[in-house]
Amino acid sequence: MKVKVVTNILEANERLAAENRDIFREAGVYVINLMSAPGAGKTSVLERTIKEINGRLRLGVIEGDIAGTDDAQRIENLGIPVVQINTGGACHLDANMIREVMNDLPLRDIDILFIENVGNLVCPAEFKVGEDIKVMLLSIAEGHDKPLKYPLMFQESTALLLNKIDLLPYTNADLEKMRKDSLSLNPKLKIFDVSCRTGEGIGDWVNWLLTIVKK
Amino acid sequence: MHEVGITQGILDIAIENCKKRGYTGIESIKVKIGKAAGVMPDSLLFAFEAMKVGTIAEKAVLIIDEIPVSGYCNGCSSDFSVDDAYVITCPKCGHLSLRIDTGRELNIDEMEVF
Repeated sequence: MKVKVVTNILEANERLAAENRDIFREAGVYVINLMSAPGAGKTSVLERTIKEINGRLRLGVIEGDIAGTDDAQRIENLGIPVVQINTGGACHLDANMIREVMNDLPLRDIDILFIENVGNLVCPAEFKVGEDIKVMLLSIAEGHDKPLKYPLMFQESTALLLNKIDLLPYTNADLEKMRKDSLSLNPKLKIFDVSCRTGEGIGDWVNWLLTIVKK
Repeated sequence: MHEVGITQGILDIAIENCKKRGYTGIESIKVKIGKAAGVMPDSLLFAFEAMKVGTIAEKAVLIIDEIPVSGYCNGCSSDFSVDDAYVITCPKCGHLSLRIDTGRELNIDEMEVF
């Protein structure tokens, strides 16, 4: 007997992600899914962002890593509520992982929740976790060929932070090509040149965050 | 990289649908996988063989229908279809701004039950 099913295989994840989003909205939390390759500077950007916001908004963080609690410790040191997820090998966070830890955070006392995804330019772009927007980082030393090699993440993101901009004189990276290719893949992408080491550009990024959250 | 999770999704949906309709076993499951879905068919088949054991899909065959990437080019106003997993530029005119219509599917299509 043949039966038609016609169901999205990721339906369970998509449904859970939509439910997560409802819970976050109800609690008044704006959620940003932060993605990049390992070592691009996700946690450093969060540290800089927390300092720059300086209490103007109440922040919270969920840290996703295959193993370890180093990142969560760095955030906790700044006095921000944080939960660490260890995926134990999985290459991305999914909606169920977020569901299991979301109530460990004081959601009603958080304006923006950053979900720092597992370092990986591929899979995190495929799985919704309950976010309002996706933001990605690409660091200068990763090279200008990345947008065209890993197009999906650039297409799915609302904003792109080109981090470690202070390294530009020491690499062969072509900043204009990075920008041009990223915008070709996603003409609406908002791009910020930043450096977590010098603090360059962090102010512009934070001002943008303040405006989108107010909306 | 996440084929195990996807395989679990396939099995969960198929088994639930089979039981809901009052059948006791699954002979085959046909899935449509877009070439740009980020899923390797070989890995999916490998995971399926391992994970179906002990379920009502134990004897089931997984049939994968690969969907090519196709869409519309805003540059030369024409439709295109390619064999590659990702398409960055229009195969006809090289334009970068493309609308992708197929190739990211990840669906169970139909199954045979008994």
